[in-house]
Amino acid sequence: MALPKRIIKETERLMAEPVQGISAIPHEENLRHFDVVIFGPSQSPYEGGVFKAELFLPEDYPMAPPKVRFLTKIYHPNIDRLGRICLDVLKSNWSPALQIRTILLSIQALLGAPNPDDPLANDVAQQWKEDQNKAIATAKEWTEKYAKP
Amino acid sequence: MEPAHPEERPLKKRRFFAEESSPPQVLSIRHDSPPSVASPEPSIGSAASPVCIADIAGQHHGGDFGDFDVGTLQAIVGELPLSTLQKLKDVSDGDSACYTYVPPAINLYLDGSWNTAPRPVTTVFPQSRPLPLQTPLANKLKRTDSEMSNASTPDSGASTPMTPVLKTMPSRRYIGSFGVVAWSTKNGTGLLRHEEKVGIERTKMQPKQGKGNKRVVSLKKQDAVVRFTNDRGAEVGRLENESAAWVSTLIDQKMCSFEGKVVYAPDRLKTGETVYLQLRGYFLRSAFDKRKFAKPDNNREVSLFEEKESSDERDLRLRQVALVKLFEAINLQPTRENETTEKHKRQGLLQAAETTEKNEQKPKSGNGTPAEPGSSPPSDEAEEGEELEQDQLDSLYKKAQSFDFDTPAMQPAETFAMDLRKYQKQALHWMVGKEKDEALTGREESMHPLWEEYEWPKQDADSMPVPIIEDQPMFYVNPYSGELSLEFPKQEQNCLGGILADEMGLGKTIEMLSLMHTHRNEVFKDESSATMRNLPRLLKNSAVVEPAPYTTLVVAPMSLLAQWQSEAEKASKEGTLKVMVYYGAEKAVNLQKLCCAANGSNAPNLIITSYGTVLSEYTQVAKQDGNRGSHGGIFSIEYFRIILDEAHYIKNRQSKTAKACYELSAKHRWTLTGTPIVNRLEDLFSLVRFLKVEPWSNFSFWKTFITVPFESGDFIRALDVVQTVLEPLVLRRTKDMKTPTGEALVPLPPRTIEIDKIELSQDERDVYDHIYLRAKSVLRENAEKGNLLKNYTTIFAQILRLRQSCCHPVLTRKANIVADEEDAALASDLTSGLADDMDLASLIERFTAEGDQDVNKFGAHVLKQIQDEAEAECPICSEEPMIDQAVTGCWHSACKECLLNYINHQRDKGELPRCFNCREPISPRDIFEVVRHEHILDEDNLRSDSLDSPPPISTQSPRISLRRIGLTGSAKTQALLTHLKRIRREFPAMKSVVFSQFTSFLDLIEPALKRDHIPFLRFDGTMAQKQRATVLKEFADSKKPYVLLLSLRAGGVGLNLTCAQRVFMMDPWWSFAVEAQAIDRVHRMGQEAEVRVTRFVVEGSIEEKMLRIQERKKFM
Repeated sequence: MALPKRIIKETERLMAEPVQGISAIPHEENLRHFDVVIFGPSQSPYEGGVFKAELFLPEDYPMAPPKVRFLTKIYHPNIDRLGRICLDVLKSNWSPALQIRTILLSIQALLGAPNPDDPLANDVAQQWKEDQNKAIATAKEWTEKYAKP
Repeated sequence: MEPAHPEERPLKKRRFFAEESSPPQVLSIRHDSPPSVASPEPSIGSAASPVCIADIAGQHHGGDFGDFDVGTLQAIVGELPLSTLQKLKDVSDGDSACYTYVPPAINLYLDGSWNTAPRPVTTVFPQSRPLPLQTPLANKLKRTDSEMSNASTPDSGASTPMTPVLKTMPSRRYIGSFGVVAWSTKNGTGLLRHEEKVGIERTKMQPKQGKGNKRVVSLKKQDAVVRFTNDRGAEVGRLENESAAWVSTLIDQKMCSFEGKVVYAPDRLKTGETVYLQLRGYFLRSAFDKRKFAKPDNNREVSLFEEKESSDERDLRLRQVALVKLFEAINLQPTRENETTEKHKRQGLLQAAETTEKNEQKPKSGNGTPAEPGSSPPSDEAEEGEELEQDQLDSLYKKAQSFDFDTPAMQPAETFAMDLRKYQKQALHWMVGKEKDEALTGREESMHPLWEEYEWPKQDADSMPVPIIEDQPMFYVNPYSGELSLEFPKQEQNCLGGILADEMGLGKTIEMLSLMHTHRNEVFKDESSATMRNLPRLLKNSAVVEPAPYTTLVVAPMSLLAQWQSEAEKASKEGTLKVMVYYGAEKAVNLQKLCCAANGSNAPNLIITSYGTVLSEYTQVAKQDGNRGSHGGIFSIEYFRIILDEAHYIKNRQSKTAKACYELSAKHRWTLTGTPIVNRLEDLFSLVRFLKVEPWSNFSFWKTFITVPFESGDFIRALDVVQTVLEPLVLRRTKDMKTPTGEALVPLPPRTIEIDKIELSQDERDVYDHIYLRAKSVLRENAEKGNLLKNYTTIFAQILRLRQSCCHPVLTRKANIVADEEDAALASDLTSGLADDMDLASLIERFTAEGDQDVNKFGAHVLKQIQDEAEAECPICSEEPMIDQAVTGCWHSACKECLLNYINHQRDKGELPRCFNCREPISPRDIFEVVRHEHILDEDNLRSDSLDSPPPISTQSPRISLRRIGLTGSAKTQALLTHLKRIRREFPAMKSVVFSQFTSFLDLIEPALKRDHIPFLRFDGTMAQKQRATVLKEFADSKKPYVLLLSLRAGGVGLNLTCAQRVFMMDPWWSFAVEAQAIDRVHRMGQEAEVRVTRFVVEGSIEEKMLRIQERKKFM
């Protein structure tokens, strides 16, 4: 099936005007599939980390949200061990007016502002609530360990 | 009764051959009871006495006759001359069927065939008449024999005077003799003797007759009792029923009288005993008189303006059968008959007779009875005849349209202003040839094909001369109507016209117009038309039909009148063809005065009228007792030429329109039709009847040779005959014909048809499903009750409603749309069925809800913002600019489709639809379409100016207004608008045609077009002729990109809409052929660009099923 105009346009724009700290490159064999790299935001435990993720645009995109998953291990209350992300715009708050670019920015923002009240990884969230400093330390440690290029 | 006759009784007994050697007829078993109904009158009242075979005495016996029992023979028939005996022996010797020669010899002698038959007689027995075509030898022999017997016959009866030549026909004339079987109704001895003359008469039965009769009472209702009386006038018995049936007819209808003679009767008669008689038949003079009122030339006139009663028809049928049987019995062969019919005659007539008998019991008049005269069609309007299978029709056409591309062409006259294609010139050549076919009129001696010629017998069964009448050696019989004539029935002038059956779009109209120009009578200097002006010239407004030698009459469906007129004007050089539309107000003129030859220079050359006008004038003339002339209308003149356009209008020969058209008089008669046979062979008959192609225009004849064989399964023969009928009459070319060089006959631009699958909006789907479920439950209910078929109208009503809801839910509420459908009875169903249906009402309400006004109450800044966004990219699909910009209630813009898709997507997931931008909850009803008015000049709109008055934003930017989506209702209208708008963008000048079968759907499309400022025109069946003409002219001539809204029914045939290049079929019809016809209005000759057709079909609905039905029909 031909790629919808919207996906082509988005891809072109991602290439032409890349966003600071984010890159998304489509697979050659499947243009709906993107290799994503998100740099950890500064002033966050993930600063300096380079997080790989994959993004997939489903058939009914943009009616349905893209599917995004971290490939790099990350210690974050809204991201589970499998890399799945708990983010409203990826679920119920998706709108076709959103784009790959905006979604990835949202994810980057999520790294900078974990939300342990709406957890996906319960143990991490628990730790975050009980002892935030320790949790941040663990996050930094994981970043050091897994997210360094 | 009969005068006593001097008898010479045989001397010896004569009963030995009764059992073993009865001739075949004698052996036939009587199978009916004594009839109990009296015949109206005994019709042999004339003072005639039969000629008996006199004993020929005084001859010497002798010679060697071997085992031929001369004694026995002579004991029965009397003394015979030696030569006679020898001949009898020879003749009967050869008859291998007889083991003893005497009985056949006796019979041969008695019926008179012995001296004429050179060979043993193996055909019908008893055979009495010499074959009319004898070898010279036989004739010679006959003559000498007759001289001889003449000399020795003492008496030949009062009515057969010795003078052989008469000046005029006597009251009756001998036609032939034959043997019949009779049975006695009396007991007793000496009631009948050999050679005794008996009277043959029709009379009342004596009541005692029924006793002692073993025969079963038959069902026959026709009284056919023919009794015979002995010379003392007492009834002795009756004829066997088989012969009585037709003998009685001939007597009753005063065509024949009969005299009988006893051939064999037992001495002692018992009731029911078999008696053999020889009957002599005479044609009464009155039989020939009668016929004068029913000449084939006139028989149409006779039946013209009156209803024939069915008893008349039955009489004719009986007469026909009786005549055939009579000729068979007396073995009289025609000396001349039509070649075409010869081939099929025997077979046909026998079959016909069978069918007649079979149908006799049926109340239905005429069906399958070939004797039914073509001149008196039954009054019921039912169509008859079996439908043709498609492949039969195909092969028929294939044969009929074997068009030779090398046929000569003809250049049209100078006055004709158009260029003709080659095949059209060929058509012109063919047509002029047909019209000028003088060869047919030149053949003066050719006999009318329905008639047969017979020679009057010169002598009777006993070889005695019968009176010969001067100049009347022959008589003529029309076996199809049972008419007799003494005059030579001349072949009527054959039809100087034909059937132009070119497929739609090949330019039949143009071809006809070229003919009008090329073959016409010139005013003043023409002598040729004088031949047809053989009627006495009368004063103006005469009561007779006046010739109009310069006038061609075109009868066309009302919707085509304007087109004929404009084409006629286009095709003629200025002032060379005076055209007149005879319709409505124009009818005030007196056509007779206007068109008669005396007024030649002013007479219109072409009168165009409608079938409806013909019919209504026909009715008027009928009321005036068929006085055509004084009416002064269509029927008061004999045209030079008549053309019936779309002639399948008269395919039902029993319809009043068809009958009316038959009565139009003209020298040349043409019919134009793309489909000469719609589905029955009878369809063709009506055309042939109109063209007056003898003999085929006689329905009896047609039945005999075409319908009866066809219905009895003999397709090949029937179609073969049809083909012989068609071949000289029909010119048919089809669009897909290729010239020998492989070029298409008419190079037409390509045509593409695509199906646009429409998805119903949720609301529409709700309505559809609701109706569907209801229909289903009704169906199931009926099925359970077992009265499914009884309530099939309900089912149709439900299906109709489903189809309507596919178009527009509101349609289902409109009772008047049923006028578009065949069955008006559905109307009540629809209304009553919906009255209590609150659910549906509320569902539909959504579509009728008012909402246009509030839309444009927005502030100017909102509109400004929306307008600015219009150039932006669609946030959903990234199209730039948006396709059909739409805004939410929260003023966020996107493509209309994207917006609706997203709402549906959310609904499908069971979520509350929210704005894609601000996540405000939205509803599909709060979506507004942005309507832009950049390309419209409102005042140009023919039908209306715009309803909405959008606030002017700024003079520079295009005006916009908002319109609630879903207000114009259905998905289909939306889809149509989308298409139309795209056309507007891509081809600003292109015209389109929109067909729907529901005029009320067109009513709903209209406002939608208005809102979008798409100029449109409307054409449907409710419009008056003038209005239609205006619309068509405007559509064709205007430069505006009009959309023409047409009802499928009114606009499906005939119209020429080649100025358009796009066709939209809003709803499928059951048969694609109907749609194809509509499409061909645009894709026909004259179309210069590619034609694109879009058919809207709602997905997952009854419309898809209809498409499948169409497919099935196509393959059939």
